[in-house]
Amino acid sequence: MTTPLIETREMGKTFGSVIALSGINMSVAAGQVLCLLGDNGAGKSTLIKTLAGVHRPSEGEMLVEGRPVAFDSPRDALDAGIATVFQDLAMVSLMSVTRNFFMGREPTRGKGVLARFDAGFADRVAREEMAKIGIDVRDPSQAVGTLSGGERQCVAIARAVYFGAKVLILDEPTSALGVSQASMVLRYIAQARSRGLGVIFITHNVHHAYPVGDTFTLLNRGRSLGNFMKAEVSREEVLEMMAGGKELEDLDAELAEFDRADAG
Amino acid sequence: MKQLRLLAAVCLALAALAIGPALAQEIRIVVVSHGQASDPFWSVVKNGVDDAKKDMGVSVEYLAPDTFDMVRMAQMIDTAVASNPDGLVVSIPDADALGESIRAAVASGIPVVSMNSGSDVRKSLGVQVHVGQTEFEAGVGGGERMAASGVTKAICVNQEVGNVALDLRCEGFAKGLGGEVEVVAVSMDPTEIRSAVSSHLIRNPDTQAILTLGPSAAEPALAALEEEGLIGRVKLGTFDLSPTVLRALADKKMAFAIDQQQYLQGYMPVVILTLHEKYGLMPGADVLTGPGFVTPENAAQVIDLSAKGIR
Amino acid sequence: MTDRTANAAAQADERLRETSLAKKLLARPELGAVAGAVLVYLFFGIVAGDSGMFSARGIMNFLEVSALLGILAVAVALLMIGGEFDLSVGSMIGAAGVVIAIPAATWGWPLWLCIPMAFGVAVFVGYFNGLITVRTGLPSFIVTLAGLFILRGLTIGFTRLITGRTQVSGLKQIAEDDWLAGLFSGDVGHGLFVWLAEAGLLAQRADGAPVVPGIPVSVIWWLGFGAVATWVLLRTRFGNWIFACGGDKTAARNVGVPVDRVKIILFMTTACAATLVATIQVLDAGSADTNRGLLKEFEAIIAAVIGGCLLTGGYGSAIGAMFGALIFGTVQVGIFFTGVNTDWFKVFLGVMLLIAVIFNNFIRRRVTEAR
Repeated sequence: MTTPLIETREMGKTFGSVIALSGINMSVAAGQVLCLLGDNGAGKSTLIKTLAGVHRPSEGEMLVEGRPVAFDSPRDALDAGIATVFQDLAMVSLMSVTRNFFMGREPTRGKGVLARFDAGFADRVAREEMAKIGIDVRDPSQAVGTLSGGERQCVAIARAVYFGAKVLILDEPTSALGVSQASMVLRYIAQARSRGLGVIFITHNVHHAYPVGDTFTLLNRGRSLGNFMKAEVSREEVLEMMAGGKELEDLDAELAEFDRADAG
Repeated sequence: MKQLRLLAAVCLALAALAIGPALAQEIRIVVVSHGQASDPFWSVVKNGVDDAKKDMGVSVEYLAPDTFDMVRMAQMIDTAVASNPDGLVVSIPDADALGESIRAAVASGIPVVSMNSGSDVRKSLGVQVHVGQTEFEAGVGGGERMAASGVTKAICVNQEVGNVALDLRCEGFAKGLGGEVEVVAVSMDPTEIRSAVSSHLIRNPDTQAILTLGPSAAEPALAALEEEGLIGRVKLGTFDLSPTVLRALADKKMAFAIDQQQYLQGYMPVVILTLHEKYGLMPGADVLTGPGFVTPENAAQVIDLSAKGIR
Repeated sequence: MTDRTANAAAQADERLRETSLAKKLLARPELGAVAGAVLVYLFFGIVAGDSGMFSARGIMNFLEVSALLGILAVAVALLMIGGEFDLSVGSMIGAAGVVIAIPAATWGWPLWLCIPMAFGVAVFVGYFNGLITVRTGLPSFIVTLAGLFILRGLTIGFTRLITGRTQVSGLKQIAEDDWLAGLFSGDVGHGLFVWLAEAGLLAQRADGAPVVPGIPVSVIWWLGFGAVATWVLLRTRFGNWIFACGGDKTAARNVGVPVDRVKIILFMTTACAATLVATIQVLDAGSADTNRGLLKEFEAIIAAVIGGCLLTGGYGSAIGAMFGALIFGTVQVGIFFTGVNTDWFKVFLGVMLLIAVIFNNFIRRRVTEAR
């Protein structure tokens, strides 16, 4: 078996007396999509922030390509090839697609004080990268605020991929999107996997997770309910294991009850 | 917590500094003026106050609003009255706004001396005596001097329109000149004043003289004349002195400066009130500190004193 | 779903035509200010066209006032794009002037030492403002408002302590034979203007000198600083970081933009711009005054806003701020040429500014809707 790109061993995080996470074991290999499922408050956000270098784990360890690491800042995580696309996407809506694409990593020409932002190159790359994922950016100098939600999400992911991410962490990329926009993002996730990236896909929507996921990790109240290969579980089983699964079943039963009452 | 404690300590220390001298000395006088200590004119007044404080061995507090704000100044007078000083010195640029506060001070038995502005209203407010110059007459003096040298058309550069004392100077100037006087309202910024004066001269090339109401306007006006090459052809007079004005006078680039010897306006009231507190003395009439004219002839003597912040 | 159809329609539409140059120009933030400036000049051209306002002398008059405000406005615009305010620039002008004047005039230090010292103080003040703002997370509006009072108070306190006055003069002679002072004072292109006058292209004074000795050095600084700021903003990494910091601080930080460093550098820039203005004014007027720069912080913000900066940050332009300052300066000086009684000066100024801003806003909205 190949070394996983990123792996956690018995990782935990506490804030004062609050245990946000404990005993998390998971791993993602190249060309694999790990779906991290859990209801609100399950500890997903804390887990991502720990992986992304925003928080430091309080216990356990984290390995990148087999080597233990300790990130001091998101910058360290980025340098290690772990790119996180947060829900706010780290995009400035008043700025152009190009400027957002290269924000913080602007390509320059010239040396010293004359080093200047290579706008032509940046525009070209931004347009090409977006075209690769099937989004036709008419004018890369248009403001990101004018793009649709799905397009914005894709720009954020494309940016992470372009800058050499080995592991992509996507925080609820589909949660605020309509059906067609969400499938645009899912298609892109599959594409990233086929290019050999490891993807950690956080969501609470099993219907979005199941089609693209290879393994599933379920979180509940800061603990892992286990890791499952896609072959081992069905969509319904995953749904059931999530905190909401039981409730949804009950809801189904209740609704059926209403239907019967109406019919009768 | 630590920061809070530090803050409290600092506050206490400041309070101690403020209260300390007041407790140590017997006679306490409060000066409330409308001129900030940052104004060159008022800076000299404050030097007078500070020197009188040292010479008399009394405690003096000097208060002034940050801007020409009469409401704030009235509040300052009220605060001063509430602290029950042995004497109060006020300038009265606006009797309507400050009258009530001053009457309240008089009513609570505090001897009040007015200085700089307020000679026309001080009697009706119950103020004991006034130390200063009468603005209108000083303006008339300036106007007459200009008229004597053949000027018929002039401008009066006012950097504080709304200040009654300054408005009176311009009015007096117009009366003394007996010719055409246009008031040019400007801001405090030197570059803007210079542009304003220069623009006015371009538009009205027949202007023969300029009167500025303070050094902060006189210096840019002088620069404007220098730029236009009009030094000597357009006569420049000003109220009040500064080192630059004095040098310009000595170099014959300016015609005259109307000096009200404001050091006296700071020094005398403190002396008067101290003597009143000690021996019950009070002058029988207003003390006129000006107008005195500084011209190219006597500028040299004045320069020395000005460097010391006395003129 | 309407969203998708609209999108598709837009896509089909976009393929038909390339974005025209005119449309691109319309999208620039400075357009409103440029249009506003044109409006202002039209107005004065009609009202005061024959009054000498547009003579060489008159032009230099309003350019000089605009230039000093413009230097400040450009720096303030950069800071506003970066999402912060600096209300202490006015006080910084007063402080820097005194820092130059006291050692030079009172202790006889050479100006080539005093001027860099003032810039040193400015860097420190800017660093301090920036550090407090980024460390505490308090709005810079409040932090620098405190700076406004502290700095003005220190200036008055120290000046009176050392000199016993609030004006320090006598710098004209000192400045004349100092090599560094020459960079900040006098006029540029004197020879050219003399030649123009002799050739009859420029009016002459009675003594044969040209009516304008040259272009005031402040105008050169204004244009130079504006050009550099525009280049930095649009063509460097740092410029992109400025937009990013003001647009969304968290987003910028998440992609590795050193937000704190960018903001601190911007605060230093505004303080240094204030010092540049102070240096020019001190050498020009030959004196420093603790009251210099009063209310300049607001004028600079107004100029930047006229120039298209958003008060919320993340959007704006340095060129726009230059035009904003030009509008402000022109209106301020122009009123003397209209012959309107100066009692009405402030009404006039306010109304002109309001019209410029409304017009600017109108243009910007038209543009953003068109996109």
